[in-house]
Amino acid sequence: MFATRATPDRDGSPISSGVWILIVLALVSSAALAFWPSGRRDSRTMWLFAKPHQDTYTPIIDEWNRLRDPDIETILLGRAALDRRLLSSFLSGTPAADLIEAERQNAARAFTGSLDAVGFVDLTDRIDAEGIRSRINPPSFAPWMSRGRIFGLPHDVHPVMLGYRADVFEAARIDVDSIRTWDDFERVLRPLMDTNGDGEPDRYLLNLWETSTDHIEVLLLQAGGGFFDDAGRVIIDSPINARVLARIVAWCQGPRRIAADAPNFTASGNQLKAEGFVLSSFFPDWMCDVWKHELPQLAGKIKLMPLPAWDEGERRTSVWGGTMLGIPRSAVKSPEDFEELWSFAKHLYLSKDLATDLYRSSGIVTPVVEFWSDPVFDEPDAYFASQPKGRMYIGLAPQVPARTSSPYNTLALSRVQDALVQLSEETRRTRQYDEARLRERASHYLKRAHDMVAAQIERNVFLSSAGGVP
Amino acid sequence: MMGPAASSRLAPWLFLSPFLVIFVVFTLYPLARSVVLATHQTFGPEHEQYVGARNFAAMIADPLFWTALRNTFVFALASVFIQLPISLGLALLIERRGTPARPLWRILLFSPALVGVVFAAMIFGIILEKRTGLLNVMLHNLTAGAWNLDFAWTQQYVMSALIVASHWMFVGFNMIYFVAALQNVRRDLAEAAVIDGAGSIDRFRHVTLPAIRPVAGFVVLTSIIGSFQLFELPYLMLNQTAGPDNRGLTIVMYLYQVGFEVGDLGYASAIGWGLAVVLVVCTVVQRLLARREEAAV
Amino acid sequence: MKQRSWIAVGLLSLAALLTLAPFVWLFCASLKTNEHFFGSTLLPLREQGLGIDWSKLSFENYRRLFQELDFARALANSVFLSSVTGLLATFCCAAGGYALARFHFRGRGLVTACVLGAMLVPAPLLLAPGYQLLHSIGLLDSLAGLVIPAIAPAFGIFLFRQASLSSVPVELLEAARIDGCSEFRTFTIVALPLIRPMIGTFLMMTFLGVWNNFITPQVVLQSPERFPLSVAVAQFRGVYYQDYGLQMAGTVIGVIPVLILFLALQREFVSGLTSGALKG
Repeated sequence: MFATRATPDRDGSPISSGVWILIVLALVSSAALAFWPSGRRDSRTMWLFAKPHQDTYTPIIDEWNRLRDPDIETILLGRAALDRRLLSSFLSGTPAADLIEAERQNAARAFTGSLDAVGFVDLTDRIDAEGIRSRINPPSFAPWMSRGRIFGLPHDVHPVMLGYRADVFEAARIDVDSIRTWDDFERVLRPLMDTNGDGEPDRYLLNLWETSTDHIEVLLLQAGGGFFDDAGRVIIDSPINARVLARIVAWCQGPRRIAADAPNFTASGNQLKAEGFVLSSFFPDWMCDVWKHELPQLAGKIKLMPLPAWDEGERRTSVWGGTMLGIPRSAVKSPEDFEELWSFAKHLYLSKDLATDLYRSSGIVTPVVEFWSDPVFDEPDAYFASQPKGRMYIGLAPQVPARTSSPYNTLALSRVQDALVQLSEETRRTRQYDEARLRERASHYLKRAHDMVAAQIERNVFLSSAGGVP
Repeated sequence: MMGPAASSRLAPWLFLSPFLVIFVVFTLYPLARSVVLATHQTFGPEHEQYVGARNFAAMIADPLFWTALRNTFVFALASVFIQLPISLGLALLIERRGTPARPLWRILLFSPALVGVVFAAMIFGIILEKRTGLLNVMLHNLTAGAWNLDFAWTQQYVMSALIVASHWMFVGFNMIYFVAALQNVRRDLAEAAVIDGAGSIDRFRHVTLPAIRPVAGFVVLTSIIGSFQLFELPYLMLNQTAGPDNRGLTIVMYLYQVGFEVGDLGYASAIGWGLAVVLVVCTVVQRLLARREEAAV
Repeated sequence: MKQRSWIAVGLLSLAALLTLAPFVWLFCASLKTNEHFFGSTLLPLREQGLGIDWSKLSFENYRRLFQELDFARALANSVFLSSVTGLLATFCCAAGGYALARFHFRGRGLVTACVLGAMLVPAPLLLAPGYQLLHSIGLLDSLAGLVIPAIAPAFGIFLFRQASLSSVPVELLEAARIDGCSEFRTFTIVALPLIRPMIGTFLMMTFLGVWNNFITPQVVLQSPERFPLSVAVAQFRGVYYQDYGLQMAGTVIGVIPVLILFLALQREFVSGLTSGALKG
């Protein structure tokens, strides 16, 4: 049809050139796959999802492999892929690695069924017997604990601070010590938004948006809100949550607006940060390294401060993310298997070398309390205008709020995110920014989210009969 | 035709055997299973418990299912009422008398149809990115910085972004069907010589339109069916999420999330049946409309 | 009239520009390293004077794909899946469609009804039970689990039935049989050459469909060494989210081979593409 007149040649053979080409491709690719060198040596595998972690572990693992057999081999997977494979392995028995470094969301999948159906080995007794529990910052266990049992070694604390444009703040002679609450933050900094004096904001104080799900959880947890109580009951429609949602909307539109969207991990967001369109952003410890790589031009211009509290004297940090190392049950075929993997897990996660390397390379503060005295955490960091940022994060570590291990957390967060977007859209229409009204409408939308999540959990007759919802 | 030899009686069954085996094992059996599954609560493929019609009841009461249905419906409407007219217009432009290099235009405009949805989603994910994406850079330059749209993350724009990307992929594809129909028209016209005194609009109404009507019916139906199975494009353009406030959630994406991200194959099957019902209704409506039109002509 | 032609060509040029821009942009983007990625819309220009700053372009992304990320394996998987599925499906569908069109046998009506019925079943409906089935017969996470269910699609049987009905004359078959040809020989020697246009079309359609398929391999496969390009490239967004150049290079690998193959075979491909619509 594309050629003006396609006249099929009538040599009678059904094997046209296209068929030949495909036959050759089929043969070549079959041969290639048949003789593909299989990378599988007789080694133990470890799945992980973060490239920087892999880079940091490599020297430690190489050293381990030099001294011991079998080798440990790391395999990097996308987070979604890890999630899917973990689920597939727990549910359908497809092969899994011998060690799995999992993110909060991924790991929570394992806690859906009864305790003896959890896909990871229960480490609680060994952790207690070997005195590991007292060595680790208590909130760090929370996301890996289900019904009092621990299923993974914690990797981090992940306290959150606020990173601000020190160059701008200092030029305006702002004393950040005077900012103790979010109300202070708005009041003291608002004048910075208008740079040309026309009464219109030219830049914004906070990198936050109604669609940035991570930030919402950071603020909710800081305020003491959340989605599940200690018994695992849904508490989405709590007044604290309504207060936080109402405030986020007030910050993103209307006369109280101070926030703009500079999405993390995108070139566009980075450009807005570099231009100073947003003056401060949430900084969990791991974010420091992300900025160093993605925004080298801001070196020396960023400083960190504890988060402003929701009320005077309250918590000035939060938590964002979280990783654990777990041993899937499928990897343990004999007690020796467990000992071997457990000793590697401890060697990797509890080693002082890793604690200092991880801080140097990724900015991540170790959850192992005894290493906090290491001088590495006092080193001034040139990117952050020579602040000893490690010490600052460690100072906040004990206050870090607990993260839930509920497998329904992701679902709850999505529904709360929806509630926030709905509240924002309604407010854009009605233009009613009064705080009391916003809270009341937030409660309304949160109630809907609450009911949807509760209904989903309720509907899960299979799981409740199999041993209960955590 | 009925040969006396036994081989003749066996031959058709041998020729059809691959189809029959695959049909029974991979279509008929899963189809029956999906009825069973839809009445069960499951957690992965190995754990099931009978729940009767609860999955269907839950689906009817599930606001997300209706959100998905609404989004998918909007997308289908755009495909039929925006994309197909563009396809037809381009086909008419190419096939009108006096257009040079017809094969070249055809192949140029058709080429995106060869690109997989995954790859198109990768391209458009970055082209539509806020501020730095190609489209925003152009808007930015054209409007001196006044316009800067965050296509993927602003709830109002999600659907438009998906529609833009899908149009790029499918306008040329559907155009080819119209081109084929118009080539038939041209042949008929040539045979019937020139219609005297007929203006181009008359010619379009009385000659072209009736000739392309059957093809148009086919293309409308396949577009609707394709639209209702939309999954990869939003799933990948929105970073494996449903987008803000689920504006990019489609039926198949919801099915995928429920079945393979939550592990509830039973509820996923119920959603699959919901989709099947919607498609059957669309097919029947389209057939009825087409028949009425034929009767009217 | 002349002027109108120019308007038509103008509109078509605009459409072609919009169609091609993403391709051009994609290819340029794949040559740029991350630090220069957003520095220019298409290709980086020299600071002074005119022309392209070649120093900012490289095949580094491609080198990384193949040397660091084992992308050759994904490419081999894709080629294998597409070509093997394409050939098997074409053969099975040609045989089946031919049998349905040119044999009279008991149950023909029922089989035809099955073919038409199967075409109406939406694929996503079978996703969940299909997954369970592959799990129970041990084909989950295997390439065979992708190929086997796809070797005899009802749609293909239907297309070849139509093609046989219109272009394989009964008399020729009878003549072959009288000459003593077996049924299989009659099919390969007499029928296949006559439905050759449909063979080319269907082969390319299946190849493309498998190459571009995402949801099935995403559900069926778990091990990265078995991923085809579509799944491997989609993963990039998760792991190398910042590495736009790398993502685009992977996308080029996913797009260009099929474009070339299609251009080489377009005559065979398109002739039958629209036949379903025109006859339907």
